[in-house]
Order: sequence, then structure tokens, then C-alpha cells
Amino acid sequence: MLIVNELTENAAHEDPGHPERPERVGAVAAGIGSLHLGGDVVNVAPYRATRTELVRVHDGTYLDELGAYCYAGGGDLDEDTYATYDSWAIAQFAAGAGLAVVNEMTHRGEGVGFVAVRPPGHHAQRDRAMGFCLLNNVAVSAAALADRGERVLIVDWDVHHGNGTQSMFWNDPRVLYVSTHQWPLFPGTGVAQEVGGLDAVNRTINIPVPPGSTGDTLVRALDEVAAPVIDEFDPTWVLVSAGYDAHRADPMGDLLLTSGDFARLARRVREVVPAPGRLALFLEGGYNLEALRTSVAATLGTLLDAPFDAAPPSSGGAGEDVATRVREQRRVALELARAARTSGEDA
Amino acid sequence: MTTIRTIAVGFDGSPDSEVALVWALDLAGPLGARVVAVHARGLLSRLEGWNSREMESIVARLAHEHGVADGDASVRVEEGDACSVLVRCSQAPVNADVLVVGSRGEGKHPGLLLGSTSLELAQRAEVALVIVPGERDAASV
Ligand SMILES: [Zn+2]
Repeated sequence: MLIVNELTENAAHEDPGHPERPERVGAVAAGIGSLHLGGDVVNVAPYRATRTELVRVHDGTYLDELGAYCYAGGGDLDEDTYATYDSWAIAQFAAGAGLAVVNEMTHRGEGVGFVAVRPPGHHAQRDRAMGFCLLNNVAVSAAALADRGERVLIVDWDVHHGNGTQSMFWNDPRVLYVSTHQWPLFPGTGVAQEVGGLDAVNRTINIPVPPGSTGDTLVRALDEVAAPVIDEFDPTWVLVSAGYDAHRADPMGDLLLTSGDFARLARRVREVVPAPGRLALFLEGGYNLEALRTSVAATLGTLLDAPFDAAPPSSGGAGEDVATRVREQRRVALELARAARTSGEDA
Repeated sequence: MTTIRTIAVGFDGSPDSEVALVWALDLAGPLGARVVAVHARGLLSRLEGWNSREMESIVARLAHEHGVADGDASVRVEEGDACSVLVRCSQAPVNADVLVVGSRGEGKHPGLLLGSTSLELAQRAEVALVIVPGERDAASV
């Protein structure tokens, strides 16, 4: 069963010519439609995330300023990120859509959740908008779950590092953040040596891969680097920052993934979901509409055992040594972090 | 007193950033400091197309015109938003002692921090920050 927010393009959050555009939601809807799920879909009405729900991960002053900025007419927040008069309300509903889907799944105890909202969220920081993102949708839901006592795994396969999400849970042992991303690439963060704060050592796993990497590189690195840590963490919930800009046709990155690779990534994620109704995916990037449509279909088709058409998974690209290099860099960083933690306790 | 060895200046090729660059070069000359023109590559920059060679030649030309030795003025391209990239410049490997930016990106709504690169930098910078007012005839400075 697919549990998905009521899809809306949110045309009032638009900057003509900007790649983060309303049609992206239409592409997602077409991808879901191609699976012919029939009655196996539950549409959940989003609600406006409350201030209490947002301040778990955002500063109250930032929320006030963002609201005021939008009501003053909006404009460019930085060189990449825009807001309109309606963006504040739209962003609150986007964050609330995630909460609504997660709540519905908790209530039902079954299904796969998909939160197809815009603007995306994983670059949004505690106190600033960035990289097309205003509020960090996946983080708002992860924080809500963590406050209910859940151990939350976030897998971020967007081509960009989710710097906002990482920083929000940097020192929070209740959340394990795992990201595969192209490096170097915007936002410039996400090296393997970033392993978490002193209270959450080994709760951040970054797998940076070079331009030209193929799906096999990502899957191998997840298996060899992330899987043992995930096992030990033993998540009770799994959220995915599902960006589709690692697709080879996407203009924002240089990775060579195909729609079939997203099916493969989805299978890996499914293996670590602890129980039915404990997996929700959040749309992040993905700017080539056709790639977005087919990749969403491949992801959800895999998770829901529905037939789908997908290109063969990719292999043989750059970065064949990624898993080994990341493991070694993390080993050194973890030793340093643990030593710093021990000396902190002694002091 | 702080010794100024390295000046990082935000440079995106716009007239205002050129004014900031010239200001930095004029400061660097007498101090014998080096100038690093820092270009932040945001998400959209890869769609817009840009040319680092062009930037290098502008920087080299202005350095020459303002009496700064070739080796003391360089271009650095880094992935990220302008504000974060400049903040990072105060750390290794750039180790800037001063950050210089043009006044472009003043913000659309006065009084609000959001949307103003220079105000946000003022809050986040770990070293001294200079905001250089723009001039219309930047090219003739
Ligand atoms: Zn992305």
C-alpha cells in the first residue's frame, strides 16, 4: 500500500525559469500513475506544520523572518533560493505533509510512505534557507519520530549532500544520517571524515563519490560502509531523502545513475526497514522530468512489488575504490572522535 | 595588531564584485598581502554557464593595473553558496585575514537579515568583513 500526500504542484511557489518548478510534482504523479496501484493508494491531506513541530529543527527567529520575508513579497534568499508571498504557507504545508504521512503510517502499521512536496528540504539549515530549500521536511519528521522514542535512519541518495539534515542531527544519537552524493559538488560539505558530533559519534556516514560514478559504486559503498553501522544502530524507522538528480539525464549533477539504479537502491533500503509501515520517502531534487517520472516509478514499483519499466542499472563508472577509501577515512576520523570524547569525559 | 597577509574577496564577475576586487587589490598593494578572488559555485551556476578563464583574466588584468604582482592575485572556485564559501575562507587552505564583498545582495527587504549576503556574512564571518559600496562606473576605477 502506498501512503502519499495529496499531490499539489504549488504553482504559487515558482520563479519563472527556475529548475525547482511546479511540473516536478506532475512528473512524480505520472510515475505513481504508471504503476496502476488502483485501490492500493491512500491519499493523506497535508496540514500546516505547527511552530512546535518546526522548532525541533529550526530556530524560531528564522521562522519569524522567513514568514515576514514572504509576506513582504518574497524575493531571492540567496543566489539559488527564492521565496514568493505564498512560500511560507506552502513550506509549512510541505513539512506538515511529511508529518501527516508518518502519522497515518504509524496509525495503520503498514504501507510505504511517499512525501512528494516542494520546495525540497535537505539543504535547509536551522537558521537559513539554502539550495532551493526553505524548511527541512525530512528533518521535521525525523525529529518528531525521535521525540516519540524512535531510532530514525535517514538515507539521502540525492546527488547533493544534505548539509542541512546532517547539521541538524550532528550531535543527536537518536538519528543516523547516511548520505551518498557527488563530490566535489554543491554545497561543498559531506566528506567522509564527518562522522558526527561528540555525543553522536558514528551517527553520520558520508559517502562522497566522484563525477562519472555509476549505481554499482553507490550500492557497494552502502553495503560495505553503511550496512554494518545501520545493523548496529538498529533503526525503528527509515526515512529517505529521495532526490533523483543523481540520474544521468539530470542537469544538476554528473553521476550516471539510471532509473534501474533507483530500484536497486530501494531494494537495499527495504532490507533495513524493521517492520511494515516504517519506511517513508521524501522528494528532494530531480530536475529532468522524464528521469524523475521513471525513477519514482522504479523506486515505488520495487517497494510495492508492482511492475514497472526501468532502464538497466549502471555499472563500471568512476569511483571503483570509493568504498575502500571512505572506510579508511572514516576509521581515522572515528578514532580521533572517540579519543576526543574520552578525553572530554576524563576532564 | 592583526597582520593582513591574505584578503579573500567575493567575486562573481558582476560590476559590484569587481569594485570590491579593486578595493581589495588597492589594500593589498601597500601591505604586500595576497588577494584571493573567490567564486562560489551555487546550484544554479552550472546551468548558467561561466568561464573561470574569463575570471582569471579579469583578475590578472586588474591586479596588473593596480600594482599587485601576478603571483599575489589568484582565483579560487569553490562549490557552495556565496556566504558559506566566504565564511570558510577564513580557515585553511585560504586562511583569509579579511573578507571583502560588494554591496550587491543587499537584500530586498531592509531590516530583514534574510536575503542579504552581506548582512548574513556580518553575522557569520569569523574574521573582519569589509562591505564595499558599488559604483556605476566600476570599469573605469
Ligand atoms: Zn539535489
